[in-house]
Amino acid sequence: MKKILIIEDDKNMQIELVKLLSLAGYEALVLQDFSHSLEEIRKINPDLILLDIQIPEMNGELLLQSIRKESSVPVIMVTSRNNEMDEVLSISYGADDYIVKPYNPTILLLRIANIFKRMENPLNILTYDDIKVYPSKGILEKDGKILDLTKNEMIIFACLLHHRGNIVSRDELMTELWNNEEYINENALTVNISRLRAKLIEFGMEDAITTRKGQGYKLV
Amino acid sequence: MKFGKYIKDKGLEIFWFLLSYFFILLMLLAFKVNGEVLLGISVVFVLLFFSLLLTGYLKRRNFYTSLIQNVKGLDKKYLVLEMLNKPNFYDGELFYEILYEINKSMNETIKQYEYSLNDFKEYVELWIHEIKLPIASLTLMEHNQKGKMVERYAEQVRRIDDYVDQILYFVRSENAEKDYLIKETNLQQVIKQVALKNKDDLLAHDIQFIVDVQDEVVLTDAKWLEFIINQIVSNSIKYVRSDVSSVIKFTVSKTKTQTSLHIYDNGIGIPLNDIHRVFEKTFTGENGRKRGKSTGMGLYIVKRLCEKLGHKITLSSVVNQYTEVVLTFALNDFYKMKD
Repeated sequence: MKKILIIEDDKNMQIELVKLLSLAGYEALVLQDFSHSLEEIRKINPDLILLDIQIPEMNGELLLQSIRKESSVPVIMVTSRNNEMDEVLSISYGADDYIVKPYNPTILLLRIANIFKRMENPLNILTYDDIKVYPSKGILEKDGKILDLTKNEMIIFACLLHHRGNIVSRDELMTELWNNEEYINENALTVNISRLRAKLIEFGMEDAITTRKGQGYKLV
Repeated sequence: MKFGKYIKDKGLEIFWFLLSYFFILLMLLAFKVNGEVLLGISVVFVLLFFSLLLTGYLKRRNFYTSLIQNVKGLDKKYLVLEMLNKPNFYDGELFYEILYEINKSMNETIKQYEYSLNDFKEYVELWIHEIKLPIASLTLMEHNQKGKMVERYAEQVRRIDDYVDQILYFVRSENAEKDYLIKETNLQQVIKQVALKNKDDLLAHDIQFIVDVQDEVVLTDAKWLEFIINQIVSNSIKYVRSDVSSVIKFTVSKTKTQTSLHIYDNGIGIPLNDIHRVFEKTFTGENGRKRGKSTGMGLYIVKRLCEKLGHKITLSSVVNQYTEVVLTFALNDFYKMKD
């Protein structure tokens, strides 16, 4: 399980972030002692850090600089300071991403997932049992047989595959599609999913995608 | 400064001079002074008087001419004292010192206002960062409670956030300081942020969101532009027409010197009488009155931000057909950040 460290001094935000990240399948920890941040970060050794700019003791940007001196752990800056200057500064200090409060929680999860994906799978080739999935080419491959998917179908399939075994809500799929600049509506999403299903069946994958009424979809 | 008017102003002195000359003449005649001495004394006396008059005039003319010219030429007239030489005659010196005192007290008053305005602006910005925290918490809570809380709550939280952004950018647009950063910005990326922000509203109203923008890069502040486009899009969502399937469409047109982003919707449009006033402060117009919930601030702030960033914004519309906003960005190397 990936360890995510939350550096944030607002109690409410801490509680909700821990809930959000745990539900998404991460181990979420909260930094307790702001006067010894660096030591605590070393001890916890997280896979990713969510760092607020306005924290006690030390400014988040300064903390980021000292983290960067010893580690290349991915850092997402999270702040209510909505201006371009802070973003450019944070990125130049070595932040991997910059998110402004209040953010859409689904998008925060997407950005986190993207960073992990980039780290672990730079070539971006996925596998689903004995099937190879090439998201950038839009194809699935099994024993030399190839299945072509449209861009939308591939986005949906990759998203379900990433959350394999878990339910993915329609809203999450929609956010993922819109995040890839495919601004489709509810009907189109339904159509895309049934087309994807039909194609998978043709490819010999019966019942790969199941529907949970009122909740979403699941890739088994 | 005119010599004639000056002489007129000196009427009293001239009167006293003539009177005293008349008495001297009488006295000299009474002592039976001979004609040549009389003439000599008269000439010296008259010359002396007129030279006094003339030097007085010239001193004042130098001072006042430069004062008048500077006041005319200066953009900020209250700075005139900085451009003026101290006069070398007594009433001028007094006048100069009084001007100096007035100027000083004026500057102090303005400074005071500036301080209190800055204090206020700083406090508003600080307050906005503070209020964003509970808004962010609420957003997360709503998400974590999916199923228990209704989507309508999330919508209200989004509305609060939009209004908070409005005041933030109002303060930024009214302020003389430069708190923006112009750099190369991808239009598609900014439009995507706006789309994601309004996703639920767009889906709820079943509005087709069409983005026909390739990898277009313009020089702007990405955050400010996001606010600008967000205002325009939320207006489009607010004023949809119910009898057609709604569309919001982004396209780009280019010339050698500029790039224009067109934001088109097929909503209710704006009446002809109102079009040229939509960017005015607190102007709500017919649509605002009919639908309510309009403060008339959104587009005003948008216009101010565009002015500060140096973008041109125009709007065209036909009632019950369409509204199109065009943002024009200059392609100018001058603004590019050096690496």
